[in-house]
Amino acid sequence: MTKTIELSGVQQRFHARGAAGGYLTAVEDASFTLSPEPPQVVSLVGQSGSGKSTIARNVLGLQKPTSGTVKYGGKDIFKLNRDEYDDYRRNVQPVFQDPYAIFNPFYRVDRVLWKAVKKFGLATSRAEGLALIERSLDAVKLDPDRVLGRYPHQLSGGQRQRVMLARIHMLRPAFVIADEPVSMLDAQVRRLFLDILLDFQREYGMTTLFITHDLSTVYYLGGSVMVINRGRIVERGPVDVVMHEPSHPYTRLLLDSIPQPDPDQRWTGRIEVDELSGTAEAGTPKATAPETPII
Amino acid sequence: MRLLTATGHTIRHSPRLATGLALLALMILLAVLSPVLVDAIGNGKDPLELATYERWLVPSSDHLLGTDQFGRDVLAMVISATSVSLQIGAIAGVISTVVGVIVAFVAGYKGGWVDNVLSTFTGILLVIPTFPLLIALSAYAKNVSLFQVGVMISIFSWPFAAKTIRSQVLSLRSRPYVDLARVSKARDLEIIVTELLPNLLPFIGVGFASSALGAIFGLVGLEVIGLGPGGVIDLGQIIFNAINTGALTLGAWPMFVVPIVLLTVLFAALNMINIGLEEVYNPRLRGVAGE
Ligand SMILES: Nc1ncnc2c1ncn2[C@@H]1O[C@H](COP(=O)(O)OP(=O)(O)OP(=O)(O)O)[C@@H](O)[C@H]1O
Ligand SMILES: [Mg+2]
Repeated sequence: MTKTIELSGVQQRFHARGAAGGYLTAVEDASFTLSPEPPQVVSLVGQSGSGKSTIARNVLGLQKPTSGTVKYGGKDIFKLNRDEYDDYRRNVQPVFQDPYAIFNPFYRVDRVLWKAVKKFGLATSRAEGLALIERSLDAVKLDPDRVLGRYPHQLSGGQRQRVMLARIHMLRPAFVIADEPVSMLDAQVRRLFLDILLDFQREYGMTTLFITHDLSTVYYLGGSVMVINRGRIVERGPVDVVMHEPSHPYTRLLLDSIPQPDPDQRWTGRIEVDELSGTAEAGTPKATAPETPII
Repeated sequence: MRLLTATGHTIRHSPRLATGLALLALMILLAVLSPVLVDAIGNGKDPLELATYERWLVPSSDHLLGTDQFGRDVLAMVISATSVSLQIGAIAGVISTVVGVIVAFVAGYKGGWVDNVLSTFTGILLVIPTFPLLIALSAYAKNVSLFQVGVMISIFSWPFAAKTIRSQVLSLRSRPYVDLARVSKARDLEIIVTELLPNLLPFIGVGFASSALGAIFGLVGLEVIGLGPGGVIDLGQIIFNAINTGALTLGAWPMFVVPIVLLTVLFAALNMINIGLEEVYNPRLRGVAGE
């Protein structure tokens, strides 16, 4: 499987009253290629409103660009035939920013996982599907008993976001499009999340487009980085190079605006799961009333 | 299942909603039992037939609410009229809600020119003065049936339902869970039915209750000016008769007062349901989605 995602000259305009010409250009001439070989993390960093989410929506086929193309395996994603579309959907999957809005409040959280099982034909029987779901929850350090059968508002943000990761684990897409997946999580859960993502890259060969406005996260993930400013990608390269020798003034500005401008100080050590469950999960008394979120 | 528990939960938390539903249930019970009750009142005769009894009898143990100018039992009339009023509410409520929901979903979910066309059309219907047109229509169409009147009233009341629901669809369709459904290969119709519709049930309930209320009072309005459908007696028509014959001066006050009291109760019940739903669901939806 060596299909790539290839953006060329993607431009996205939105109608906007009051803006010059009656439209707003969210993304201008975005071109880049995501290759699954070797599996890698490509970060896309920029300020709020710079067009990051718009690019993610373009790549995910949720928004058709005004001009330019998004290709998967060399074909425009908006012109795929049935089989190609299935292949594209299976291999390009998102993790969204807001762990609260990603679940329909009407249903239990299991539904998101069962939907994946059914829509992508991951299992032939209910038992097989359940085994799959439980294995994937394990893989993201969630206790199936604590998650299955619950409503979204009964889970914490970190738990919900890891349910989304469990969904990714089930689907094993070649590409994960992660749009600020950790911006609403606290530091501890954030690291756990990033580590799981890196594990996925290593174990299942997933390539991640990681969108963020936070340079320390970019640094932690490594790989390469693209800097976007006002809809334009202004700089790209390996993280170490871009962070140490930024060539574009905007990148320098971004670097300077980090409160603790010491990129040499990597976060040390990986967070241990036991440590986390010891402090955060097992430490909390078991939730008795179903309305009480855990953690 | 979720629906049932949610409903139970909702009712327990809103005395207003509970009262409204209880009152409505009572009236529906009355309407459902109306054939039996009317039979019992008639005791072998048809109490709704002209000249079954003497005219203008005052309330007594035989005729709890007296008789009218044609010698019909007023209690029997009121009971069957309640059933007719509820029927018109149900007919118009269902039609306008169904049409409103479909238009709202198509417009709100599809967006673009489809939305423009539908919204303009809805907007035009909304600003047309309804009642005069309804009068004109009923005056033109002689001898309309109850169902036809229901349809006529619905023509003017679905835009209200459509408008409220559309704005909700607009706010829901850009939710991340809709995007997630799309990348999970869900089709448009599936998304509308399984992702959007359940979250809109309270708004649909509100739309239904307001349309039903509008229809019931629309019919009363038509009856009071003598333009109601033929062959059926609804609460408005009894009031119309009472006014027309000067029943109050003849001591037949129940003919005037009882229908008005029933209409008031119905109005209060549907409004309590309306307000109760809005009151409970708006903060609750927000609480669940963005807690
Ligand atoms: N559906 C839309 N309609 C109109 N304008 C839009 C739409 N989506 C995005 N925009 C505009 O496009 C610009 C880029 O938005 P985008 O969401 O891509 O930014 P972002 O980089 O993801 O920001 P953030 O970090 O805050 O998430 C913004 O000015 C936004 O207002
Ligand atoms: Mg964004």
